[in-house]
Amino acid sequence: MQFLLDSFHKAFLLLLHLDSEVFQIVWLSITVSFWSTIFSASVGLPVGALLALKDFKGKSVILLLLNTTMAAPTVVIGLFCYVLLSRVGPLGSLGLLFTPSGMVFGLFILATPIAANLTVAAIESLDKRLMLTCELLGASPAQQFWLVIKEARFAVMAAVVIAFGRIISELGIAMMLGGNIRGFTRTMTTAIALETSKGEFELGLALGFVLMAVALFINGLLFLVQKERS
Amino acid sequence: MTGSASAIQGQSLTKIYGSGNAEVTGMEDVTFSLSIGEVVALLGPSGSGKSTLLTIMGLINAPTSGKLLIGEALVTDGPVAKVNLRVYRRKFIGYVLQKTNLIPFLTAVENVQLALEINDIPCRAARNRAMELLESLDVVHRSGNLPYMLSGGEQQRVAIARALANKPMLVLADEPTAALDSVRGRQVMELFRTVAREYGATVMVATHDHRSLDIFDRILEMEDGRLVSQKQANKDSPIGQD
Ligand SMILES: Nc1ncnc2c1ncn2[C@@H]1O[C@H](COP(=O)(O)OP(=O)(O)O)[C@@H](O)[C@H]1O
Ligand SMILES: [Mg+2]
Repeated sequence: MQFLLDSFHKAFLLLLHLDSEVFQIVWLSITVSFWSTIFSASVGLPVGALLALKDFKGKSVILLLLNTTMAAPTVVIGLFCYVLLSRVGPLGSLGLLFTPSGMVFGLFILATPIAANLTVAAIESLDKRLMLTCELLGASPAQQFWLVIKEARFAVMAAVVIAFGRIISELGIAMMLGGNIRGFTRTMTTAIALETSKGEFELGLALGFVLMAVALFINGLLFLVQKERS
Repeated sequence: MTGSASAIQGQSLTKIYGSGNAEVTGMEDVTFSLSIGEVVALLGPSGSGKSTLLTIMGLINAPTSGKLLIGEALVTDGPVAKVNLRVYRRKFIGYVLQKTNLIPFLTAVENVQLALEINDIPCRAARNRAMELLESLDVVHRSGNLPYMLSGGEQQRVAIARALANKPMLVLADEPTAALDSVRGRQVMELFRTVAREYGATVMVATHDHRSLDIFDRILEMEDGRLVSQKQANKDSPIGQD
């Protein structure tokens, strides 16, 4: 018991003193998650809009694929990306394995289907009059896309926030593609896993508190978005 | 004013909704020609095919068979589009739907502006034109309100403003005065007359409103999906003349 209390105490001290290792890990997690979210959103949103608005051959196959990816464990996604990025893999020459960019790649694969799927749901729940008006006025596909995103903006914002939350809290991809290299690819989740396995709790706990704070922040944001909508 | 050049013609237009046992004939073998600048009423009981004809003329629905020509151009041959319908809708057609369909998150003036901006009119010019139109339709005091705050009649007038925004050569309106009192209904019909006079728009209005028939050049009547009569309107009426 005393040991646990000690760990909590030390964890708080780490946070309080803005310990440089803690700070570096948090900062890497946030930047990697930020870029992964940006890339996922810039592909997932248009793809979701396209899937919701257009009928074409193979659409149901794509939807099935997206749903499957959404349900896949992150270690499996990590594994596939590892094979792609490894030196003998098709993208091996890029040298991305065990770098932050490699993690961004894997997290992008993880979150793009989430962003796309949630966008499909957001647009499909929209008032049909909007689409009819676009047709009536002869809006171009690009104009139609912007109008639809504008109307669905709250749900789309929620999709982006949810994608960010998923990215920052996952472990498998960051571990397999980043390699948990100290000072280079160590993120909050990989650090927690490692420290805990070593039986040293204070750094893990400190990072755990930060992650909880991030989760709180994200859910607060979602709450505000929901409130704004109604 | 009603010249001989044809603005739009239909040749044996037929529309069948659904298929198999669920087939419903929307209209059958409809042939007509409207001249440039002509203002035409479309009468007929509910279910007679007025909306069907208008949506086909407005390139919203494809005919099952028959040809549609706008100006000299063959636009659809049966269900096959011969031109880019979206571009035609954008550039040449102003449509007022039977049910108003304003975009719920845009204000009245933004709804009108949108039609202009889709046609690449710069924002400032679009705003001025939109305000002018709302003014002429007596809803300018509602320009900053969202659609749900407007009465049915006000929404309808905003929708009419939107349809007229780009000075379309072809104005199609499906019972546009149904939600309006008789004075406002009259105003709207006269506005259609005005756009025909001002820039030669061709106008077709489906209506039940017999009080305003005097403003039309010609009256078409439908029954059971067929065009059953085409009468030249009484040319002695004071407003029917240009
Ligand atoms: N989308 C549709 N699907 C099936 N039947 C339709 C559809 N629209 C109209 N109809 C049918 O076509 C006929 C003509 O309808 P409509 O053109 O709406 O007449 P009006 O506008 O004169 O009331 C009616 O029998 C109607 O039930
Ligand atoms: Mg009708």
